[in-house]
Amino acid sequence: MKINEVPQDDVPDYSEGIKKGNYALDDKGKYVMVPSKGWVVDEMINRMAYDEYKVKEEEARKAVLAGQKSPLAYYMELRQMTPEILGKTAGIAAFRVKRHLRPEIFARLKPSVLGAYANALAITTEELITVPKNPRER
Amino acid sequence: MKEATANKMNSEITVSGRTFIHQHAAHCESGVTAALFRDKGVKISEAMVFGVGSGMFFGHLPFIKWVGMPITTFRSRPRTLFPKVAKRLGGKFFTKEYRNAQKGMAALRNALSDGHIVGLTTNIYWLSYFPNRFRFQFNGHNIIALREIENGFRVSDPILDHPVDCSTEDLERARFARGPLEPKGFMYWVETVVENPDFRSACLAGMKESCYMMLKVPFPFIGIKGMRYLAKQIIKSPEKLGFPEACRRLANVVRMQEEVGTGGAGFRFMYAAFLQEAAELFGSDELAELSQEMTAIGDIWREFAVVSARVVKQRGQSEETFAKAGGLMLIPAGREEQLFKELYNLLRKLEK
Repeated sequence: MKINEVPQDDVPDYSEGIKKGNYALDDKGKYVMVPSKGWVVDEMINRMAYDEYKVKEEEARKAVLAGQKSPLAYYMELRQMTPEILGKTAGIAAFRVKRHLRPEIFARLKPSVLGAYANALAITTEELITVPKNPRER
Repeated sequence: MKEATANKMNSEITVSGRTFIHQHAAHCESGVTAALFRDKGVKISEAMVFGVGSGMFFGHLPFIKWVGMPITTFRSRPRTLFPKVAKRLGGKFFTKEYRNAQKGMAALRNALSDGHIVGLTTNIYWLSYFPNRFRFQFNGHNIIALREIENGFRVSDPILDHPVDCSTEDLERARFARGPLEPKGFMYWVETVVENPDFRSACLAGMKESCYMMLKVPFPFIGIKGMRYLAKQIIKSPEKLGFPEACRRLANVVRMQEEVGTGGAGFRFMYAAFLQEAAELFGSDELAELSQEMTAIGDIWREFAVVSARVVKQRGQSEETFAKAGGLMLIPAGREEQLFKELYNLLRKLEK
């Protein structure tokens, strides 16, 4: 790759001004690091992965509002976690986390357990018992 | 003139009173390692660190899943680069993991007040100075803590082109995040370095290990064998997994190759830059030729990324197919095999 081949595509929504370092050859054939504004290929691949999380998050939010899942399910998706990761972070066994995703069981949780979840998810206990009315912006 | 102002913005005074010049890098681990050694007065580039620490790699591990997908990697195992470089350059270094977050944060503060700048392994999701679309639950991001500030730390993140502030809460969460490849508060720094380190022998050791990893690991998922295995999997994937899942997997390979700070083409351009530096060091035309060949191989990897992106984007409507993408991966497999064989033979000559 030569310097003029380093992609400089406009993808402000993705990079927000961050330039990734690319190694490329200058006119004398010497390698230099060239900051790249962005690359559409990279942006598209990132969008796919990011949207996957967004879809999961939105599905969970709707399921909570429909009474099928507990708010814990929404915040777990929001933080891109799995029951295993959330369980380890909160110090609660993964099988219990899975049970707590059910609204009727979540409703009976002790404050100490709610506190452990809120702490692991970097939110307050008040936030943990409800979900936002509207989808979060990207 | 422009450069002078840029430098001013990027220079920081560390606790020990020295000036730290932040340098933008392509990859976090090599960038951090290079910066830690530069701080101790060793002139070393990111590419040189990558070569000496045997960062070059390929692996496709179908039985280890990350977010439900097999792991594909273009680099060696995280957290191995720094110790390897330190050993090969003959310096003394410190590495430690912490189980307890309070102890880990206290140890960081102590190290900073002792005058060290400290490399830290973190989870990138919790580093809120990144835009949302960079933030994924990935536990292998490396940064340098420069000094403590009010409610946080001044950090040098090599992916960014200038130092930033990171809140204490963010940093603690990032360092002690749980999940696959936990960072466990891992921190490291360089204690002492030898004067005029022997770059030649360090390069030889680094290249030798890379040749072994790429050619000789008796395991079908590692090195050139891994590339060929993955290429076959990609060709078969639409039938085996269904079209949407096959797209998801292919996109993930491209992501590992291009998105996660590789310097382009899954570290191949960075390795070519290393081979070029090594060629100057040894005065070897053969190494210079290998660098050119590695550049050409990198260009094919880029083409693979472009074709794969088209396959995924067009959802089977274009002429690009999984067979073409997989076939395209077999070309760098063959050429890298040849390259590392030549490099291996060349090493014996250079050792004399």
